[in-house]
Amino acid sequence: MSRISDLFKSRPHVINVGIESFKDDLLQQGSEVIHLEWTPPGRGNPALIAALDKFENPAILEKIEAANKLAVERIINSHPVLVGYDQAINCVPGMTKTTILHAGPPITWDKMNGPMRGAITGAIVFEGLAKDVEEAAKLAASGEITFSPCHEHNCVGSMAGVTSASMFMHIVENKTYGNIAYTNLSEQLAKILRMGANDQSVIDRLIWMRDVFGPILRDAMKLNPNGIDLRLMLAQALHMGDECHNRNVAGTTLLIQALTPYILQTDYTIEQKKEVFDFVASSDYFSGPTWMAMAKCALDAAHGIENSTVVTTMARNGVEFGIRVSGLPGNTWFTGPAQKVIGPMFAGYKPEDSGLDIGDSAITETYGFGGFAMATAPAIVALVGGTVEDAIGYSTKMKEITTTENPNVTIPLLDFMGLPTGIDVRKVVQTGIMPVINTAIAHKDAGIGMIGAGITYPPVEAFEKALQALSENIN
Amino acid sequence: MLVQALIKPNTYFDSVSLMSLSTKANQIEEVEQAIIAMGTEMNKEVMKNVGLMTPEVEAAGASDLMIVVKAETDELCETAFEKINDLFTKKNSGKKGKNDIKYSTISSAAGSNPEANLAIIAVNGAYAAREAKKALENDLHVMMFSDNVGIEDEIELKKLAHEKGLLMMGPDCGTAIIGNTALCFANAVRKGNIGIVGASGTGSQEVSVRVHEFGYGISQLIGTGGRDLKEEVGGIMMLDGIQALEDDEETKVIVVISKPPAPSVEEKVLAKIKTCKKPVVVWFVGGNEEKITEAGAHFAKMSKEAALKAVLLAGADESKLNKRALNIPLIEEVRTKLTPEQKYVRGLFSGGTLCDEAMHAAMDKFDNVYSNIQRNPEYRLKDRYTSQEHTFIDFGDDEYTQGKPHPMIDPSTRLERFIQEAKDPSVGVIVMDFVIGYGAHEDPVGAFLPAIIEAKQQAEQEGRHLEVIGYVLGTELDPQDYEEQINKLLAADVTHASSMQNAGLLAREFVVKGE
Amino acid sequence: MLFVINAISGDTDFIKGIKNSIFTGFVHSTFNRTFNIECFENGDLYTIACSKLDNGPNTLIIDVDNMKPMDIEVNDRVRVEKNLLYIGDKHTISIDKAAKWESTLPTYPSNVEILKLNLMKMKEYINIHGVGGGIKKNVITQNLFDAEVSNMLEKRTLLLLNELLNDRISSALPHAVSLVGLGPGLTPSGDDFLTGLFTIFNMKNSPFYPYRSFCEDVLKKAKTLTNDISYMTLKKAAIGKVRESIISLLNSLLVEDDEDLFLSLNKLLNIGSSSGTDIALGIIFGMEANIRAGGKVC
Repeated sequence: MSRISDLFKSRPHVINVGIESFKDDLLQQGSEVIHLEWTPPGRGNPALIAALDKFENPAILEKIEAANKLAVERIINSHPVLVGYDQAINCVPGMTKTTILHAGPPITWDKMNGPMRGAITGAIVFEGLAKDVEEAAKLAASGEITFSPCHEHNCVGSMAGVTSASMFMHIVENKTYGNIAYTNLSEQLAKILRMGANDQSVIDRLIWMRDVFGPILRDAMKLNPNGIDLRLMLAQALHMGDECHNRNVAGTTLLIQALTPYILQTDYTIEQKKEVFDFVASSDYFSGPTWMAMAKCALDAAHGIENSTVVTTMARNGVEFGIRVSGLPGNTWFTGPAQKVIGPMFAGYKPEDSGLDIGDSAITETYGFGGFAMATAPAIVALVGGTVEDAIGYSTKMKEITTTENPNVTIPLLDFMGLPTGIDVRKVVQTGIMPVINTAIAHKDAGIGMIGAGITYPPVEAFEKALQALSENIN
Repeated sequence: MLVQALIKPNTYFDSVSLMSLSTKANQIEEVEQAIIAMGTEMNKEVMKNVGLMTPEVEAAGASDLMIVVKAETDELCETAFEKINDLFTKKNSGKKGKNDIKYSTISSAAGSNPEANLAIIAVNGAYAAREAKKALENDLHVMMFSDNVGIEDEIELKKLAHEKGLLMMGPDCGTAIIGNTALCFANAVRKGNIGIVGASGTGSQEVSVRVHEFGYGISQLIGTGGRDLKEEVGGIMMLDGIQALEDDEETKVIVVISKPPAPSVEEKVLAKIKTCKKPVVVWFVGGNEEKITEAGAHFAKMSKEAALKAVLLAGADESKLNKRALNIPLIEEVRTKLTPEQKYVRGLFSGGTLCDEAMHAAMDKFDNVYSNIQRNPEYRLKDRYTSQEHTFIDFGDDEYTQGKPHPMIDPSTRLERFIQEAKDPSVGVIVMDFVIGYGAHEDPVGAFLPAIIEAKQQAEQEGRHLEVIGYVLGTELDPQDYEEQINKLLAADVTHASSMQNAGLLAREFVVKGE
Repeated sequence: MLFVINAISGDTDFIKGIKNSIFTGFVHSTFNRTFNIECFENGDLYTIACSKLDNGPNTLIIDVDNMKPMDIEVNDRVRVEKNLLYIGDKHTISIDKAAKWESTLPTYPSNVEILKLNLMKMKEYINIHGVGGGIKKNVITQNLFDAEVSNMLEKRTLLLLNELLNDRISSALPHAVSLVGLGPGLTPSGDDFLTGLFTIFNMKNSPFYPYRSFCEDVLKKAKTLTNDISYMTLKKAAIGKVRESIISLLNSLLVEDDEDLFLSLNKLLNIGSSSGTDIALGIIFGMEANIRAGGKVC
């Protein structure tokens, strides 16, 4: 009874769930009240509530908690190091001359959207498999090209994510768990393949990246025996005002600073080296893909842990948004429709011009930066159309749907709170809070490119499907 | 100039933090000089050298942190220490401003706010049990306003709460007063030494305002929810509630309020009361006096009686209380105004127990009393839209609220019914309650006023007198204006009853013929 | 959430203690970048530090950016089980991957010319970049207490120097003791200065090396004169065990490499508020006394 007498002796300090006027009445009486932002769990769907209830069963709960603990431990302790660069055909598992990897969950040519088709036809021309994009489109539709998600080849790809055999890849090794992750190189400007652009200037740039940029980076890293510690660099970049998804100013500076001494020592001409530096300087995005590979490398180490409800992948192919969950191993995708991205557009474009959310870059939020670390990057609050306070709000809100904080990578503005880590499918469905994603906006038609940037959310269906599958799987 | 010292034993701050604290402390307006340093012998020597030695400093140890302030007066020193302490706590808790943070689950809100001790659950019944369970698991007491919660869930929740020593008020609990704070639907009453455990919300409200009117106050008012004394639930919360009030030092007298419990539960509750060391007043609406008296409890037949017995047991001087006896001349007067055909009472209530009490008053004199809450199925209202003879309707009952807020918030359903009843030439009296207090409508009488005035005029034109009795449940401390509510009734020529008990008795007496 | 954190490196003896499963204790104090454990077995303090800090005696560096999110509280119980260090029920630290580190001081050089030159540069650097308020005087102090601390530090270090230079080690003792606990901070300036000085006493082949028991004599009196944390640092310094940044500086002082010297010095100066500067000044003081004493011996 002592808890009751404690209550009688103090004043009620209330958590109010539901009718908001009760909160006002309590405030009027001078009581402390916290009003919950409550919505019915699983949007009120009885099957989902039953699944959530099942997960509360102590025996099952214990299994899940143990599995999730292991999953986040593997994410946090992962130590991704950039060890080199090479062409996809030489390093990416399962890559062939006629394979094209793309962002998001699996998709067939006939269902792909404009930017994705634009990127694929451009890549086919770049690989010399067709003489122009028209011929490339025919080839793509013929069934002779193998399409496969980046994620199923230890890769990630930003925006369309289109990756072909001769493109150069980052090679990121997990020093703790041994797995490797790959991603291709940033094309920098707005009118680029990954955004769906495919004219001659785009192809020419890809050729230069294949013949000059890639080889210089490859040979530079051959001279660096220790590799570049990406987790440490990520932590630094976040402390310098990046969130490392849409803002990469600091990260790019740090990365090129680490690469420069080795680039200088390679046998290329001064002109070629200068071209490299000019190219890197032409856009802040150079390190963007690097952080994606870093996150992918850590999250792959946490995939396939029996009974874990932690999300290990969030990725979009422009039509569907797909997630993968640790406890459902292999390439089990749960999907829902890709959403619109809301944010400022480049001059001359209107919201109607936007393609739907696309790219594997949401791997950054899956790890805990990007939209989750909005509080590190007050400089880009314009994206959320609000104030610094709103940006901070995004970071704290994500704690509601994650498992723990990552003490290795912290947010100074939030009193060194660790990154919210380990999105838990249960918590997403329970609270209705969706992971917040910072991302770029590609034009909806092929051939145009990037027209803005903003924020978006996954479709709730993907998480609800995953929850039901988990419920069937865990006993 | 004064020197005062504050010693924080075994407190370590890194040098950089200490420097910045020291700098900030010296910027405080009231401070002439502030020094923050570890209490080593050498530092104490320094203090002595510069004339800042105090007995506290003398006693400080090498691992203690000394804060020494020099200021003009004692008060200024005090203010300075308060401000310096703020600097320290800011440093320590450093966490973001709590009120700005939005929480989506009880677990996260409770986790980040260890001071939280009670959850109010007022969500759709389909989800309420889940949330309540979460709250109990987080060691929060629960007040569950939600209804339509399965009885198995209720039993499980109450058993869990009992094991953990927590209150599980509800489901369907609308009224509680804890630590002088009204929760959900409750009135602002004086703090005092009478504790209430009630299975019926408006019954508890009624007794609490009567106690207040008698000049006494409420220590705690615990709600149990309407089903607690059913066979299946077994009175878990009622029994724990009585125990809690027995253990509560401030409570001198306990009042137990419920509809008549299931026999096996009544036995348990009375057995509990029998061993209770404090006097207990029992008001089981329409309950049996004999068993209650046998258990050593004080039997109350009606609400005002329950409040009166409670204040007397708490030491009130009966001769000084205004008991507000029935106005007999008024009864005579109204009887003469009514035609022989105007035989029936129609009671239209927003409060369930208020309805019950008025209905039982009528049942003492008449057999033909119908209601949606009649326990005898023979007298249950056949059609909820049509009254029969004496009819009493609880508009808070599920069948009348479907999809609408409670009648204490939304008067529309009851208002329509009033207009309908007023046209019935067999009706002599319409009796209604108007509940104010926290949670309730801001002007319940005002919402009915035009309809009452019009109905009375209409009846007058048809050559009959329509008697309306209104009772305002509330106190002068409630957020609404209690006096104004009564004045509005009087202005519309409504008979104002001073208590629910009186309202029920007056209604009955007005239509008694040929006595 | 309890998950395993890897230790990056640590003091050899500390790691051995964990491996031998004879380590229990409780959290003694917590800071943003470190926390201290008081060990039940020997009463010593052990430090767990985040990855940005340097190695030190009784210190374990863990793979964590900042201690804040770890939510460690004073009195959390600490225990060892199967090579894992448990902090309450909050965290588990694994030492499997930790590199072992040991405090080894360089030997005092036979030729002191480079050392002399380096000491000059070091003094100049501290003059410009050092943090005042401790041994280094602040030009302006509006605070009575700070001014008096400065005065006392100045007087007492001079008295100490005088005795040491005249080979009167036993009469130097009270002056050294009079510095313990002097200064407002967590590690009072007097203590930091002595840490620097003790380090020099423990360099092999230095003229003071035969008299290094002086350090332990000071220590015997220091226990009640300062707080636990600072005492622990002094206790280790008295036997020549100091943090990595001090050792790097000593190594830099013995070679001709300005860049290296300033890098090492800069790292040391960044410790605490004025602590780094006070330690550096203790080192200079000790070195100069050595050089002068050495000159006499020759």
